[in-house]
Amino acid sequence: MSKQTQRKSMDYVKKEYKRTRTMPANWYLSSYEYKFNITHMQPFLKKLKEKKLVANKCSGCNRVFFPPRLVCGKCLVKPDRWVDIRDTARVATYAIAYLKDENSEVQEKPMVLVHHDGADTSSIAELAPGVDVKDTYISMPIKAHWKDNPEGGLMDIEYYDLMDDDAEDLNESK
Amino acid sequence: MGRQVAIVSAGYSEHASKRSDVSMPELVNEAIEDCLAKVPSVELKDIDAFVNGNMPAFEGSNIPELWMTDWMGARNKPLMRVTTGGTTGGSVAISGYYTVTAGIPGIDTVLAIAFEQQSQGDTSVGLASVAYGEISILNSLGISYDQLNRLLSAGAAIGVAAYQATTYMSKANITEEDLARVVVQNRRNAAKTWWAHLKMPDLTIADVLDTPYVQYPLRYGMVCPASDGAVAMLFTTEEKAKDMCDIPVYVNGVASVANETAVLGYDGSGSAQLDPSEQLGAMKSADLAYSQAGISFPRKEIDYAEVYAPFPNQELMWVEKLGLFEETTAPEMYETGVTAHKGELPVNCSGGVNSTNAIAASAMERPSEAALQIMGKASNQVPKTVHTSIGSGWGGSLNLITLMAMSDEPKRKWK
Repeated sequence: MSKQTQRKSMDYVKKEYKRTRTMPANWYLSSYEYKFNITHMQPFLKKLKEKKLVANKCSGCNRVFFPPRLVCGKCLVKPDRWVDIRDTARVATYAIAYLKDENSEVQEKPMVLVHHDGADTSSIAELAPGVDVKDTYISMPIKAHWKDNPEGGLMDIEYYDLMDDDAEDLNESK
Repeated sequence: MGRQVAIVSAGYSEHASKRSDVSMPELVNEAIEDCLAKVPSVELKDIDAFVNGNMPAFEGSNIPELWMTDWMGARNKPLMRVTTGGTTGGSVAISGYYTVTAGIPGIDTVLAIAFEQQSQGDTSVGLASVAYGEISILNSLGISYDQLNRLLSAGAAIGVAAYQATTYMSKANITEEDLARVVVQNRRNAAKTWWAHLKMPDLTIADVLDTPYVQYPLRYGMVCPASDGAVAMLFTTEEKAKDMCDIPVYVNGVASVANETAVLGYDGSGSAQLDPSEQLGAMKSADLAYSQAGISFPRKEIDYAEVYAPFPNQELMWVEKLGLFEETTAPEMYETGVTAHKGELPVNCSGGVNSTNAIAASAMERPSEAALQIMGKASNQVPKTVHTSIGSGWGGSLNLITLMAMSDEPKRKWK
């Protein structure tokens, strides 16, 4: 990417930075509004309402970011193209956290990083209730389970359903 | 062209979970006294400049380096503070190196100090500043606060390390027993080191596997402790080093490499590292430091390694990524005793971060311990003669890696 394009795209970031979402926060001295930029994911959130997934793509390194990013970490420019991605995914990696609830009973909280087909990044998600995370394995195929009435947020994907792994019985060891 | 730099001494304070018998300056002073005791010809007035560092907000006091100025002997002398999170110690050592090699007139001898007194502050307050930003980012994606399990990886290092462990275990096809074996070796080594925190001379693999999970697949017995402690290192030029001690250790290569964010990514947009155990940063830093030091065959030429591994899976991962072993063969090396105290390539004979973790100090204890092994003054000295050694550091959410390659011969190659 030429320097001119780079400068142009950085200006673009600066100009659009005014459109932000605010979040109330409290400090014991006062309360204030915390502002952060959401411009870069507005088209993405709109498409979520239609149960469609889109991601943005950096023209410098051709990586596809899901969820969309404001700035590409490698090229330091704004990803400027939008691409479709599938709602099927694979388990990138997983872990289980152990937390105490109100009754001080230890509860398992599984955490999974999912890698959507067609994307180059992974994001934190949950598997369907009733799935034992210890039975999962890396690169297990899964599919997004949508909420009935999507509101335009990442929580519209409630959890990920398991898919049939046709190739699994061909492998002797996972 | 810079000057050749040598390490002439390193010293430690005693490490424990609560050093309530001393204040923060006294803790630092303990380490400096131990450092200067090893070089009788050097006094505090011979030191020209100071580099200092700790993890910000973990100690509960603001600008602590000004509080301890007199305790370090830094009055009316140049003093710099460096903080880079988990790798602070590694960055302090590298800053000490650069302060000497820069060749500033009148600055030849530099004392680098890293310290942490976690019992006085609150680490969760320090990490809250990291976590809060990530919570607000997830909120922007429409994830509500009650979905807290999505935020569990925010801030702390274990969230990153658990993912690395799962990926590494599936890649190398190992079980938790292999992880426990690393812990047992470290804690038994720590029992022979006077300043270490968790000393367990009779620990067995079964004992480790008997503890509950903190975060699957890491158990309570595998996780590093939270310690109080300080470490000091003395850097000087090649000419002066020969008068100060018998075997000066020459710093031949340094590197400090970061990668993209580990779990949540920029603006909460996920991690671009699909394989958390890939660690391109470690491979790049090894490449940089070894090429400066003229090391072509790390496995043959390096005699001793100190790697920064709070969790056992990381120790296996780093020794591979830093070029000491082939991919996925490290668990085998631990099983056959190649990395043991009497082995062919001893790793972490001080007990490592797994046994002593005073956040900022622990990344500097790696190069300092590696240097002391070359000098022959280490607490748990290995039986073989050490000519070349490395000390590495790792920091949580950005995967920042620091690496220092040292030798008893000056052979820094300038590029």
